[in-house]
Amino acid sequence: MSEIFFFLLLGLGMGSLYAMLGAGLVVVYKGSGVINFAHGALAMYGMFTFDTAWNRGEFYFPWRDFLPSHDVNIPVRITLASDGSWPMVPSIILALVVAAVLGLAVHFLVFKPLRNAAPLGKVVASLGVALYLSSVALLNFGNAFPIPKSIVPSDPIHNFLGLGRTYPSNTLWAIGFAVVMGLGVWCLYRFTTFGLATRAAAGNEKGAVLLGYSPQFLAAVNWVIASVLATAMAIVVGPLQGPITPMGLTALIVPALAAALIGGLRSIPIAVAGGFALGAVRTLLDIKKQDWFDGPLLWLQDGISQSVPLLVIVAVLFLRGHSLPIRGSVEEKRLPLSPQPTRMLQHAAVWIVMVALLANFWQNAGLRTVFAGALQTTLVFSIIMLSMVVLTGYIGQISLAQMSLCGMAAFMMSRMMADGLPRGSNLVPVGGPNFPWPLAALVGVIVAVLVGLLLGLPALRIRGVQLAVVTIAAAIAIQSIYLENDELTKLRAGVPAFIKTPTLVGIDIGARSGRFQNERPAFAIFLVVVLALVAYAVSNIRRTGTGRRFLAVRANERAAAAAGINVARTKLLAFGISAAIAGIGGVMLAFKQVEVSSANFPYLASLAVLAFAYLAGITSVNGGIVGGFLVAGALIPVGGNYLLSDANLEAYAVLFGGLGLVVTAIIHPSGIAPFFAGAWRVMGNWVCRMTPGAVTLRDGYGGQRRRELSVVLLAMWVGAALFVYNATFIEPMHWRIPLTMLLLWIATVIAATSGRYGPFSPNFAGARDEWASWFRRYGAWAGVGYVLGWLIWPLRVDTYSKLYMPLLGAGLALFAQMLYMQTRSGEPHDEALTDAEAHADELEFEEVD
Amino acid sequence: MALLEAHGVTVSYGGLHANDQVDLECEKGTLVGLIGPNGAGKTTFIDGITGFTPIAAGRVTFDGQDLEGLTPDRRAHLGMSRTFQSLELFEDLTVRDNLFAAAERPKWHSFLRDIIQPGANERQYVTQVEWAMELLDLADHADALPADISHGQRKLVGVARTLAARPRLVLLDEPAAGLDTAESQHLGQQMRGLLDEDISVFLIDHDMGLVLSVCDYIYVLDFGRIIASGTPTEVRNDPIVIQAYLGEEAGEAQARDAEAVRGLTRDGGSSDG
Ligand SMILES: Nc1ncnc2c1ncn2[C@@H]1O[C@H](COP(=O)(O)OP(=O)(O)OP(=O)(O)O)[C@@H](O)[C@H]1O
Ligand SMILES: [Mg+2]
Repeated sequence: MSEIFFFLLLGLGMGSLYAMLGAGLVVVYKGSGVINFAHGALAMYGMFTFDTAWNRGEFYFPWRDFLPSHDVNIPVRITLASDGSWPMVPSIILALVVAAVLGLAVHFLVFKPLRNAAPLGKVVASLGVALYLSSVALLNFGNAFPIPKSIVPSDPIHNFLGLGRTYPSNTLWAIGFAVVMGLGVWCLYRFTTFGLATRAAAGNEKGAVLLGYSPQFLAAVNWVIASVLATAMAIVVGPLQGPITPMGLTALIVPALAAALIGGLRSIPIAVAGGFALGAVRTLLDIKKQDWFDGPLLWLQDGISQSVPLLVIVAVLFLRGHSLPIRGSVEEKRLPLSPQPTRMLQHAAVWIVMVALLANFWQNAGLRTVFAGALQTTLVFSIIMLSMVVLTGYIGQISLAQMSLCGMAAFMMSRMMADGLPRGSNLVPVGGPNFPWPLAALVGVIVAVLVGLLLGLPALRIRGVQLAVVTIAAAIAIQSIYLENDELTKLRAGVPAFIKTPTLVGIDIGARSGRFQNERPAFAIFLVVVLALVAYAVSNIRRTGTGRRFLAVRANERAAAAAGINVARTKLLAFGISAAIAGIGGVMLAFKQVEVSSANFPYLASLAVLAFAYLAGITSVNGGIVGGFLVAGALIPVGGNYLLSDANLEAYAVLFGGLGLVVTAIIHPSGIAPFFAGAWRVMGNWVCRMTPGAVTLRDGYGGQRRRELSVVLLAMWVGAALFVYNATFIEPMHWRIPLTMLLLWIATVIAATSGRYGPFSPNFAGARDEWASWFRRYGAWAGVGYVLGWLIWPLRVDTYSKLYMPLLGAGLALFAQMLYMQTRSGEPHDEALTDAEAHADELEFEEVD
Repeated sequence: MALLEAHGVTVSYGGLHANDQVDLECEKGTLVGLIGPNGAGKTTFIDGITGFTPIAAGRVTFDGQDLEGLTPDRRAHLGMSRTFQSLELFEDLTVRDNLFAAAERPKWHSFLRDIIQPGANERQYVTQVEWAMELLDLADHADALPADISHGQRKLVGVARTLAARPRLVLLDEPAAGLDTAESQHLGQQMRGLLDEDISVFLIDHDMGLVLSVCDYIYVLDFGRIIASGTPTEVRNDPIVIQAYLGEEAGEAQARDAEAVRGLTRDGGSSDG
């Protein structure tokens, strides 16, 4: 008994960190109505700042210079002490100042502009901040994770309280700090007008105004308090936590959320007490799990202590979910509209052909072989993103556990395929029923659906942000209870699960070639077919009654119930469908990886999935697919890397993702997918106008003649393409050139037939006027972009870069202009991109029959 | 037995009895009105019988079935559908889809058919949705979003949405608020027309002209209690009502207006039928 008591006391050390982070969450929530998922990340950045200053004598700004060019560099690192160590006290002060500045920055740059956004917008913005900070930390501080030194005396106290054991004295210090700071903050809110005003603002912003405070000022001060508290506590407790990693500290958000919820997001003392209790219980379980979870409970041994926050969160939300305060803000914006998908079969056909061609083109293509792997990654993540489209885009529920569902499916499939023979890097045989892959995959997907439904259960009582809290805790619990649990997976610690190569009627459709490259076209085709089917299903959901009920529930649960819609069942259905899609994605990811381990499905990846899906436009199928292009390892980052090979852009995917997420959440909540659609249409216009006679042909003829037009365009484009891609570029020339031509032909036809076209231009004068008006409208932007591209071209030591960097710059500038126009027009879901588009509307191009 | 019967319905918010021992019946094929000053508890009554707020005491039956313990969506399935005072349209869906969302009665496996054979499930609901849109003259706006049409039309979408499911009883919470006199008269005619379609109507409204002219039977609620009930003529002449609600002179004037309107509407109604 006294032993248990002692371990509980020992756990108060970690508990003090949870307590302060929990209190900080409460403070921020009171101050600005935001549940700050980036709280752990803020503490983490401050902690790293302190540690690098004190132990390495360096300071890093919270950003990166991702284009290390030759002339101008953005300052990133400052050397504070050349002998590699700065004194402790200034280091602490520096860290606290950084924390305060970060708090202010987060408030003013992110949450102030978002104060009237939909709850989802705020959640994703804070996730964006968390992703940004943790990836900047990884890039700046490197991944040799230090074990921090203690700033308070840490000599052991022998025979502590007569319990006969040794107690580390820094734990006592940590507890003391937490209690004192907790009391201080509590008094601040209890006894000062500032505190009164904050409490008033938490209920209703007008209350604060009456007390003479601006709500934004209050919010800013509260952000600073929370951020500084978190950093201070992380510095004191740091040594108790082991090596500091960006991931580990960012993940502290989960126990912190549990503590804050215990306090009802309202009471600082209760949150502090809850944090202490949580730390105590977790430490106790960590120490005693070997004894307590044995025999029939052995399977729980590994995950139990990590799951405590989940249990606490679920319990609190179930018991008092309805009584948690909801801030009365002036006006809430809604999630963006969910557009109706159209012409899906054509799109699917085009996609399949494109992917098939590209996959063949990139197979064994020297440096460009990376694109083959990137293509596979893209397609897999597009599938996974579509699961977010159903769940968040259609029915407005947030899940931060999608990758965990993928992991469940992947691991389960691996197990169902296992046959008791050692395979891959797993030399210890894993027993299993040796199912063929379709059956094993089906089992995996079904398990994912069951877990998904379980995740959906809390959604019946709680919504929005609270659901995000539950699912992030669930993601960590799934990871530790299942994915990392040797007892359940039967894998020795750290050994990945082996996936057998899939075959279809005897044909190998596996991902890896004989030289262990992810380059086999057969797999890409397999993927794109699966993606097309999933996208078709998701589109059909949107177009039919199921989707109407999802959107009805998203729009208004009361009205949905009045209309006879069973809200609970509808939500569960969405969770089930979404989990099935995630499961399919997980299975495909497993096939791609050949061996999967829990490291493939970290909880941060779930955040990134939500981030990129939101970034790309979470309410539409297009958005989901585009989202797949953005993740680390997918085509856009890999392509960027290829273009700017010095810059290592791929490492920045998550950083850009986080940043992009924040920016998108603020200025353009329907995501960037509409731009792609817009750019597609604009491209159609350009293709047509750039091609002599094309406009005449197009407007003068239909049917067969229009197909002839396509041939003309083909000739033009292939000619231009061959000029750019001179023959040395393609190694086995004899059959790759026709392929390139075919590819361009298809691109041209799509562009020419899916765009909306501008006014009729039968003669040269008309064409000239069109070009002139194009230049008036876009010329300046394109020119600036072109020059900028030209200026940075030496980054890529390659003859072609002289040509394509300026073009890329011009393209990006036009893209930025579109973004700007759209923001300025103030209508986020407005489809009309530019006034050119508006003109184009009049001349709708009928489809080719 | 009446289609809807409420006996001793009591709803309390905190200490306040928003509804106190309300007895009310709505016969099949009739248009029943509920009037009362602001805050009398009219909306609360609809909330209570449609399952949106718990009933502290009392019993509600619909077509003989006790509604106790049924969720709002179950009650809607029984054939009772309501509008909201504050509209609460599905803002993300077009007008037509708003109606479809309310019309469809999915089974647990409908989603599979939706995925594999889009459009198959809704075929059987097309006529009733079209009918509801025609009835309320919304066909021109079928593909518009609720945000893009006028307030009056939004009101009509709310009504059409309840009708799209072809319920047996519609409960309308102030459908005429914000409509001008001509529009609300027209709405009154449309409501009478519903009776021929085998849809009974329960109407709450502040527009006395409308209520007195179209209803077959009227209940008057004040401070959560039914203070009077009867045919429009009885209610109009009831001294308690005049005192508690209409106020002497206002009552007289309203009554005269109503008489005139009633004549008009009845004529319109008969020429329709
Ligand atoms: N959810 C609620 N919680 C607490 N009190 C409520 C709630 N809803 C209504 N009330 C109170 O119950 C009483 C009756 O309200 P109700 O909305 O039913 O009136 P009403 O007759 O519909 O009025 P109006 O003509 O303005 O629509 C009012 O005093 C109101 O303040
Ligand atoms: Mg009302």
